[in-house]
Amino acid sequence: MRTRDSYMMELDHLLRVIPEPQRKEWLYDYYLHFEQAAQNGQSEEEAARELGDPRSIASELLLGYRVDQAETNNSFGKLSRAVFATVSLGLFNIIFILGPYLALAAILLALWATAVAIGVAGIGIVFESLWNGTFSMAQALAVGLISSSITILLIVGLKSLTTSFYKMTLKYLKFNTRILRGNSK
Amino acid sequence: MNIQFKKGVLEICVLVLATRGDRYGYELAVKISEKFEVAVGSVYPLLNRLTQDGYFSTYLKESPEGPPRKYYHLTPEGWNHMRLLIAEWQDFTRAVNEIVEEGLKP
Repeated sequence: MRTRDSYMMELDHLLRVIPEPQRKEWLYDYYLHFEQAAQNGQSEEEAARELGDPRSIASELLLGYRVDQAETNNSFGKLSRAVFATVSLGLFNIIFILGPYLALAAILLALWATAVAIGVAGIGIVFESLWNGTFSMAQALAVGLISSSITILLIVGLKSLTTSFYKMTLKYLKFNTRILRGNSK
Repeated sequence: MNIQFKKGVLEICVLVLATRGDRYGYELAVKISEKFEVAVGSVYPLLNRLTQDGYFSTYLKESPEGPPRKYYHLTPEGWNHMRLLIAEWQDFTRAVNEIVEEGLKP
């Protein structure tokens, strides 16, 4: 049995990560709802029951917020949060969103690490030859030049790959939530 | 009815309900929940999303009793979006009906 105050407090608590003006605005909808229900002679318990579980309301509001955030400021932290907000909506999403997301993110990370490693190796060879004479200077410089060009090429490619991964993930999240909401477009 | 299916239909209904003049949130929420078995509370996140997408604009207006109400106004984009959804819905139901009729033929 929930009363209006405990309902509002629970919703407020669940939405605590949302910054102030936005959260207030969302909560105002539910505040108004209780007001209106009271005017229509509905009891607080009845209104709270009709509104439904605050947890499912909060997770829907949070998802919209996260996707919006990831869209307006490009950051992998924001993107991951949007992915996790989607995951909290159901088991389906763990399999169809979280799995592919983690796998692709891991591949991207591995590629970035490879690019950096090749670059470091090239520089390493030059220094190694300088100090220990493993290769002649000409050989070392040639190898160093080749490896740093490979690194630069990889980084250029990876940059655009990462950007498109970001965009695709967002697109997919939106598409997926539309499916969950039932309409395709 | 399947909950996810219902949510898609809700979007159409909410948009259509606002075609004859601006509505306030409570009105929409109650109207919708009278017809479909959905939690009234899930209508508000939908209204928020549609507002964010630019299909609704909102404003507060004093009410004779109680605090100011939040009204939802269907924007031109909202009208277009609604027409699109209705067209899709009609295609969809026609296809389902055809298959059902075909399948149940004696």
